[in-house]
Amino acid sequence: MRQTLLEPIAAGQTRFRMQGLTPDARGVAVGRETLLVFSGLDRLVSFLGAYSDESSLDDLIPTMTLERGRRSSGGQAVLVRCAGADSYALDRLLRLVSAARGDLFVGAGTLFARYRERAAPFGYDLAAPVSAGTDDVVAVDLDFVARYQVVDRLDPVELIQRLSLRPVPLPVAGISDDPHLAGMAEMALCLCAPGIAERVLSYLWRARVPMAGVRVALAGERRLSLLLRLRAPPGRILDVLRRIPGVELLAPVSSRAAVEVGFRHPVHLGSAASCLPGTEMYLFRGRVGRVERLEGAPRFVDGAHLIAAAIEGRGLGEPGDARVVGVEPLQIPIRLRRTGDAREPRGALVPWSQIEVLRRLIYVIPPTSLAAARLALLEEGVLVLTGGGLAGVGAVSAAGVGAAALIPLGTRICEVAPGVLVPDGFELWPRVRAPLLRDLLGLEVGQLALFRGPGEAALRLRPEHLMALDAAVVGRLQLSDLKALPGELAAPAAPELVNERLGRFALWGFGAGPKEQRERGP
Amino acid sequence: MSAGLDGFLEGFVEPLLAGKTARVGRPLRFEEFRAMAGALASGRRPTLEALRQGRAQGLIAEPALAPPGDDELALWIGLHNVLALDHPDRPRVWARQISWRRVEAVTRHLLARGQAEDFEAALARHVAVGPFVELLRRDSVVLTVEGEERFSGQPVPRRRVRFGRRDEVVHWLSIAHADESGRLIPDVLWASPITCALRPTLAPEGWSPLMFAPFLFERGFARAVCHAWAASKQWIEAGGAVMGALWRSLAPPVELDTIDEGRTGERRMLPAGAAPLALPGSSFAAGPREIGAIVGALIHLHFIKVLELGARLGVATATRSAPVQMFLALPLLAPALAPALGSPMAPPSHLVGFEGQVARRWSEYADHIAEVLPREVVENLRATLVPRIVKETAQP
Repeated sequence: MRQTLLEPIAAGQTRFRMQGLTPDARGVAVGRETLLVFSGLDRLVSFLGAYSDESSLDDLIPTMTLERGRRSSGGQAVLVRCAGADSYALDRLLRLVSAARGDLFVGAGTLFARYRERAAPFGYDLAAPVSAGTDDVVAVDLDFVARYQVVDRLDPVELIQRLSLRPVPLPVAGISDDPHLAGMAEMALCLCAPGIAERVLSYLWRARVPMAGVRVALAGERRLSLLLRLRAPPGRILDVLRRIPGVELLAPVSSRAAVEVGFRHPVHLGSAASCLPGTEMYLFRGRVGRVERLEGAPRFVDGAHLIAAAIEGRGLGEPGDARVVGVEPLQIPIRLRRTGDAREPRGALVPWSQIEVLRRLIYVIPPTSLAAARLALLEEGVLVLTGGGLAGVGAVSAAGVGAAALIPLGTRICEVAPGVLVPDGFELWPRVRAPLLRDLLGLEVGQLALFRGPGEAALRLRPEHLMALDAAVVGRLQLSDLKALPGELAAPAAPELVNERLGRFALWGFGAGPKEQRERGP
Repeated sequence: MSAGLDGFLEGFVEPLLAGKTARVGRPLRFEEFRAMAGALASGRRPTLEALRQGRAQGLIAEPALAPPGDDELALWIGLHNVLALDHPDRPRVWARQISWRRVEAVTRHLLARGQAEDFEAALARHVAVGPFVELLRRDSVVLTVEGEERFSGQPVPRRRVRFGRRDEVVHWLSIAHADESGRLIPDVLWASPITCALRPTLAPEGWSPLMFAPFLFERGFARAVCHAWAASKQWIEAGGAVMGALWRSLAPPVELDTIDEGRTGERRMLPAGAAPLALPGSSFAAGPREIGAIVGALIHLHFIKVLELGARLGVATATRSAPVQMFLALPLLAPALAPALGSPMAPPSHLVGFEGQVARRWSEYADHIAEVLPREVVENLRATLVPRIVKETAQP
């Protein structure tokens, strides 16, 4: 008869054949040490990632030793040894190890036995003594004994630091489309190459992004790079920065680690403070595939001081800096000027005095145009916009004649750039590029800018300022309940029969039959 | 029920016509009928006439009913007495069985109507008998310590100790009745040929569709009859009942030959074309127009079911009932009958669109019937029925 190498432990059993096994509070046999066996390094990484997501790796790493072992019967395995724990912790460990397709053993020294399972709820003990011999690790399973010789030892901290980042997809429309801004909603780190650091600084300074920076020396770089810390950066700024070559955006994952946007570390670094020893700061760069280890915690300097330094640098006559600071004297205001160019009207600014006429004109607007039109209430009057004037929001529904073209009232409004509206007969001067104009005006997605006339301040129209024209002008309809009229030819229902109570003399008078009555005649 | 014509009309007739609750009391005597007839002739009763008109409009759009007369009053009293004979309080009445037989005899006398003279008279009878066959009764079943106690169409006494109660609505005509009522129901249905035409499965023994065949010449009534058949779930059975009754009218059943004592038990067919020796009742006009009207209505019934995609013959074609088989075979005779009856639809000018679809569906339907029906059924009808309609109409 075939015999197994292990036998289940009975409830309440306290003495075991195997050295190092002890019952815990529940009576489950646990060892002084725990052995995790993985067939490959990738499975170990999966296990570490899963463990770090669920609990802190700081519990595991201080006692963890990572060895690569060669099995006496051939093949290699990654052996992870850590201190023993109670059965609750071991159960969790077993679940995660099984998910990573590894094995869990308990024991001590060189000899380990399989941890408990459904068939043996209190664990296993050796059925017969097993000699370790010259092997470094002996793992006894139900039907086989695996003997390992340790080939080399790995440093778990170093392993975790060396793991390559995994790319993760970003929203197609850009980071601003992500409500969490890819983890940078509160803070973002921006690593700028030395050549463009000043330009980025001046751009951020103009955009009034709260920032602080520090010059850091990266390994292999002769010049210092600029590491910026941006507080609550707007999404459009992040989109701009991410597209600039030489600028890397990093999302902080812990107090001393940041991972480049668009990548993810296989291990949840927030729960692995012990993996990042010392006071250094680690920047995991995905695109270049490097981990930058900054000496000591970076001491950020407020952005205002960095800008001042840049302006001072103009005096040194560096050509690169001269281009950057040269923008400052060229800053000129954008203003309206008259033009003779004909443009399709995108809206109409109807003064309040003509609102009654507008009410009547609503009836002549075709349904598609009426559905696409939007309305905004201003101090001067009512702004009626066709769908095409909504910065592409209703571009599809705006096909055909727009509502504004049909309303011969007030001032016609044209669109000089997506979402930038000016009165008809005017244009913006100088003629800057349309996307740049939106950036200069600080328009976010869905926002419109309205120049009402020369000398008047431009208005920013947010989506909540615009309402559907049809919903705005048509008052709430009161439906009267329908009173069903009785049908003249309603089909009669099936009649019902009720039997009245019969008296004792119900047949009184039936003494004579009908024959006699007929003979008697009516 | 209060005595007199007004009480009778308000308590029984008007609720019956209006689809409300008709009250049934003690049986009415022949003297009461005569008294009521006198009162009825004395003046017009607009409420009653409006109810009759409404009922009749359920069948045709513009009925022309004469004011109610003795004929209808006798029918109403007869219907009331039929219901009274099934009264649950009959055991309480101090009367001998002979008295109940007299009630039955009076009721049969009241119900014994001759053939209706015209369509309006037949329609007036249907106005009375039509709601009668739809009558419902609400029974209350009370659970007592002894068991269940059923109050048939009666309120439950207030002081009755009951542990539970449930109400059941039953169709009066479908349930078991007292013997006298059961014997009188055929008389009721005999009185109204239109009711029998609309519900041929209820028709009494010996009923013939030739009784209402002349009425089919009125287009509105013919449409109403065809659609009433088509609206029934058992439209195949209804068609089979009409066809069977028509077949029995045309070919009377064989009778025992009792002339020769030595050949008792043998049957003798009535010679073709020979007059029957004795007719059981009224003789009906059975010319080619009348027979053609009935056959045309039955073919139209097929056509309606084809139009509404309700002609599912999967089960019906397996029947061995000869009337149902004859009814199902009628669409195959349509081309042969076309000279006299016309076609269900004019041949469409093109085979697309709605008319083309209907024509294709109709031909597929006929092909399907030809596949599943025994061939001799069709050939038999072609040899016997078609000449009675086509050949004779072809003669001037």
